[in-house]
Amino acid sequence: MSTLTARNKASRGSDRRNVIVLEDVSKQYPNGTRALQDVSLAIPDGDFVFLVGASGAGKSTIIRLLTRAEAPTAGRIEVDGEDVGRLTRSHVPHLRRKLGVVFQDFKLLPAKTVYENVAFALQVTGHPDDEVRERTDVALELVGLSKRRDHYPDQLSGGEQQRTAIARALVGKPPIVVADEPTGNLDPVTSWEIIQLLSRINELGTTLVMATHNQEIVNAMRKRVVALEHGSIVRDQAQGGYQHA
Amino acid sequence: MLRYIRYIGAQAWQGFWRNPVMSIASTATVAGMLLLSSFFVIAQRGLDVSLNFLQSKVELYLELDDNAKPSDILALKTRIESDPSVDHVLYVSKDEALTRLKEVADKTGQVSLADVATNPLPASLEVKMRDAQQTKQLASMMRDEVGKGVVTDVVDNPSVVDKVLTITRVLSIGGISVLGLMLFVTLFVIVNTIRIAVHARRDEIEIMQLVGATDSFVRWPFIIEGVLVGIFGASIALLVLAASAPPVMGAISGFLTIVPIDFGPLFALALAGSVLGFALVIGAIGAVISVRSYLR
Ligand SMILES: Nc1ncnc2c1ncn2[C@@H]1O[C@H](COP(=O)(O)OP(=O)(O)OP(=O)(O)O)[C@@H](O)[C@H]1O
Ligand SMILES: [Mg+2]
Repeated sequence: MSTLTARNKASRGSDRRNVIVLEDVSKQYPNGTRALQDVSLAIPDGDFVFLVGASGAGKSTIIRLLTRAEAPTAGRIEVDGEDVGRLTRSHVPHLRRKLGVVFQDFKLLPAKTVYENVAFALQVTGHPDDEVRERTDVALELVGLSKRRDHYPDQLSGGEQQRTAIARALVGKPPIVVADEPTGNLDPVTSWEIIQLLSRINELGTTLVMATHNQEIVNAMRKRVVALEHGSIVRDQAQGGYQHA
Repeated sequence: MLRYIRYIGAQAWQGFWRNPVMSIASTATVAGMLLLSSFFVIAQRGLDVSLNFLQSKVELYLELDDNAKPSDILALKTRIESDPSVDHVLYVSKDEALTRLKEVADKTGQVSLADVATNPLPASLEVKMRDAQQTKQLASMMRDEVGKGVVTDVVDNPSVVDKVLTITRVLSIGGISVLGLMLFVTLFVIVNTIRIAVHARRDEIEIMQLVGATDSFVRWPFIIEGVLVGIFGASIALLVLAASAPPVMGAISGFLTIVPIDFGPLFALALAGSVLGFALVIGAIGAVISVRSYLR
């Protein structure tokens, strides 16, 4: 994780580079739903950003646009210098390697162990075997699952499953991690464990964007909060809370 | 690169055995299709060979009256030779005819004709055709000569040629349509086998795409799995062909002693090569079709 620390130090400088930029982004789904309207947002390297808002406000849509699971209808999206909206299909994998993704439902492969689930991300992106072993070990250590490495997902608690998914998101050393309600399926105590893990990852230099409904966590963390309502940003506050201060 | 190839191979192999019933069923379909195609190709080739042989052999025998005048015979010979569909005409005397018959009899070890007292064979004109299709016409012209003192009988064999020609034509039309149908069925079976394989791994594919695996990385194991189905099918078909070739060929040449069917060594090699190549291509095409519809 030495490179992460190095990036962290650099990013603490006065003018941090924006790793995520949205300019007047709109998204209308094929069925006509307008999920986002003229959203503009800049996220500097090393930021920790909560996306909050009522159900249907457009949080997941922003995340899907960042990972290029969806393309914007209008506007410009830039992730780590790449114009995401203009990416051709063959360039999408390159973008995905820069974005670790964590979901509410973990998305682990049930037939693979913790170790195999994490190593898989490196194997399918063409890393050599010894590098896969080394980096998987480091990632499992970071999320505290070294002792559970040979367990299958159904032998793990929800928190352990989510930590496995976080290890998988991290193992490729992406500059950005996006998480869509990562604590949505977890009890309050486990949710806190996950948030603290994500916070630590952010402190190591990774930019973090997290959509959530968890008021308690948002209020306690005092991080940047971007609030959405009906597809528009209604508040963007450094060290904010879940509701208007 | 080598690691990637090993990975693809391992994935394809696992994929093949993940659903063994389906994989074996489609392998059997491929093998069946290839066997049937090979059968048509071999039969076609055999008929071609025998047709060529027969056509080169097509002759009209005009048996001549023992008392015919040599000048009349010569006049007839010249007249026939002037026909453009005729290649040449050979006069075979009574003695030559007997010598030939003796040679054939000796070779086949049948009745000894060494001590035949009188020569029962007529002298003849052997007409070698340039255009085999015209044999019938010439034969009927010659039949008009029968009884005019020179020609006593007309012997021809174009009916055999006609039959072989008809069989060849029917076989190629029937063969091509059956093959087309088989091709379609085989492709359909392979596409579905691979589609089931892709479906079984859809979660894995989703994660692969999520973490940034390229399309080709996702696609290649399935294509190789399709190719595996092709290779296995081709191997089975070739084994069956190799095992059944000697007895079948024996039966055929025993049946048709007059026609020397010799395919040549290159034919077997070319057949094996095309069976294998065809199987590979159809396996790969089937896989590409099914993965394409899945990878959006
Ligand atoms: N694939 C889709 N096709 C059509 N409409 C969609 C699609 N996905 C989302 N929507 C609509 O777009 C709007 C925004 O959805 P989105 O999932 O971004 O909301 P969200 O803020 O993530 O909500 P939640 O908190 O419930 O997850 C909603 O009205 C939703 O119904
Ligand atoms: Mg959502």
